[in-house]
Amino acid sequence: MSKPFDILVLIKQVPDQGAKAGINPDGTIDRAKAKRMMNPFDRYALQAALHVKKLTGGTVKALSMGPPPAAEILLEAIEHGADMGYLLSDRRLAASDTLATAYALHKLILHVSPFQMIFCGLQTTDGDTAQVGPQIAERLNLPQISYCEDFSLEGDQVKARRVIEGGYQWVHADLPCLMTVANSYHPLEYKKIRGSQKVQHLVRNENEKSKVIKTVTLDDIEADPILCGLKGSPTIVARTDKVAEIGGSCKTRQGQSVDLMVKDVLETTPVKEFLKL
Amino acid sequence: MSNTDDKKTQQPEPLQERITPSNKEVIIIAEQSDGIIQPVTYELLGAGRDLANKLGGQLSCMVLGESLGAEVQKLVTYGADEVYVADHPELKNYRTLPYRRVIVDFLSTFELPPHIVLLGSTTTGRDLAPRIAAHFETGLTADCTELDIGPYEHTNKADPEKLGLYPGCLYAIRPSFGESLKARILGPWNNPQMATTRPGVMIPLPPDESRQGKIIPIAVNIQQEDFRLKVDEIVREITEGISITDADVLIAGGYGVNGAEGFELLKQLADCFDNASIAASRKVVDAGWIPYKYQVGQTGKTVRPKIYFACGISGAIQHRVGMNKSGTIIAINKDPDAPIFTVADHGIVGDLYQVVPELIKQLKGANVTQEEKTLV
Ligand SMILES: Cc1cc2nc3c(=O)[nH]c(=O)nc-3n(C[C@H](O)[C@H](O)[C@H](O)COP(=O)(O)OP(=O)(O)OC[C@H]3O[C@@H](n4cnc5c(N)ncnc54)[C@H](O)[C@@H]3O)c2cc1C
Repeated sequence: MSKPFDILVLIKQVPDQGAKAGINPDGTIDRAKAKRMMNPFDRYALQAALHVKKLTGGTVKALSMGPPPAAEILLEAIEHGADMGYLLSDRRLAASDTLATAYALHKLILHVSPFQMIFCGLQTTDGDTAQVGPQIAERLNLPQISYCEDFSLEGDQVKARRVIEGGYQWVHADLPCLMTVANSYHPLEYKKIRGSQKVQHLVRNENEKSKVIKTVTLDDIEADPILCGLKGSPTIVARTDKVAEIGGSCKTRQGQSVDLMVKDVLETTPVKEFLKL
Repeated sequence: MSNTDDKKTQQPEPLQERITPSNKEVIIIAEQSDGIIQPVTYELLGAGRDLANKLGGQLSCMVLGESLGAEVQKLVTYGADEVYVADHPELKNYRTLPYRRVIVDFLSTFELPPHIVLLGSTTTGRDLAPRIAAHFETGLTADCTELDIGPYEHTNKADPEKLGLYPGCLYAIRPSFGESLKARILGPWNNPQMATTRPGVMIPLPPDESRQGKIIPIAVNIQQEDFRLKVDEIVREITEGISITDADVLIAGGYGVNGAEGFELLKQLADCFDNASIAASRKVVDAGWIPYKYQVGQTGKTVRPKIYFACGISGAIQHRVGMNKSGTIIAINKDPDAPIFTVADHGIVGDLYQVVPELIKQLKGANVTQEEKTLV
């Protein structure tokens, strides 16, 4: 009844904001120096994709767009059980906003198709937009389930639980379908794999690596460069400002006895106005 | 092309003013749940009114649902000049494809596109807005905390077709890079210019019952392929107690409370007040000491209670952005250099396990004297 599935998962390499390296004192990121990692949300997407593969058999292909080092996270995905990685890497993609990114990725998806399910992380930690998944679904004319935190397969359909404000909803959708996976999805069974033998082997053996990780350009996937990168992006970051901190106006009590400090705060603030009668 | 030539002739040509066609209209896509307009819609109307005034255009609101009745008029009360109503049984609950269809169809009927289309940055708005933006191949900025109108000079020659001086651009302003920076994002080359705004941030107008507005029904033509997704069931988790976005007083605990039990003490302090709740930093949510619904900050909720107690919270930027608009902020922390003191109005440097019990003691005492007073 259920035939093997072709499953795609979209992942992105982001700066590691938890690590100190490459994070400037003002909070900006020096992308050249910053440590890199797989976008944490994408790990949930990968786990969901691998879960489907367990149920249906078939293949999981991990897709990414970015400069050459982004191949690292494709290796990571392969180590966790993905079968293939595709990296779309092209200078003409620089400065892509979400619309241009979604255009390029949808061309990559068409290049590697067919597929029954596409998984994306809910959002990235460096862009925080949650837009690319739904924009890809629009380009591919697919139904989407965003904020998915649980799902099961029922024949040609997926039944899913989707987070909404103050609760959740159960939906079912026809396949093919695109899902963005929330971080309230099943807890990650995720291990650090940097040193693993499989990855080490692939890293050392270019020939074998190139069999499982394909790097493609805009020309390979027949994407129109006009719709990519700076040219294809309808938005631009015109300016960044440091967030103004109010600062300096705090009246701090220190070194006195606790009851005096508390008394002083209660006398100089409106706190008591809100007491229960 | 030679660079040196470029430098010599560095008489920058005056940029040509360019106007992307639009009808100057600002459209808010309303959000309703169980037939009730959601607060983020009123917030958007407040922000949208300001933008429409600056553009000299009209503020409209588009609402989709079934038999919304008196709720529709409220959109006028809160600032809309015109309300477009799509009323259909299939629109009762939000679903991506039918909603997308009706909105895309409607916006396509405009001779000149609207200037701006705004949605809330909710699970609905963030699901729907990208599809509309992708359909019209226009710019969309997520989760804005400020919106404004202003000019923009595009001087980057890398993309000569975009050069020019654009008046009346939407400034979509949002935190970025872990929120220590604010980015101003623009897209004046296509209309509508789109953004979603973070719930709890924009300020609604005071409701004005005497405001006049037009209510206009619009066509609904949902297609078979829009039913590829069905909603089977909607579950609202009954929140016991007061939601952190509604409380007047929040007692927020951080990693300094040292364990789940610590929140019992904070609850006791909250119990002293009429409309109060506990709240939390992400670190304690991640530690599993308290559920996510209590989290304040960039990846939690934006709150603005009248009083915010920060107990054992260091005050990382991602936390501060969620609470720095609170009325009176009182920080309790062992470390006098904790960044929380940079946003606080009042601070006590000390152990929260001494300070909080003392607060409870003195407040209970105050309450007794108040009761005595009312008795007299
Ligand atoms: C992308 C991203 C998104 C994030 N989103 C959020 C978010 O939405 N909300 C959020 O809160 N954080 C968020 N964070 C995490 C944030 O950076 C901080 O790590 C977090 O806010 C720290 O929590 P904390 O203040 O409770 O813990 P800590 O930083 O560990 O601070 C504990 C504080 O308690 C004090 N303390 C210890 N013992 C006592 C005592 N007995 N009495 C008094 N004081 C004591 C210490 O001096 C210290 O200042 C995010 C981070 C990233 C990278």
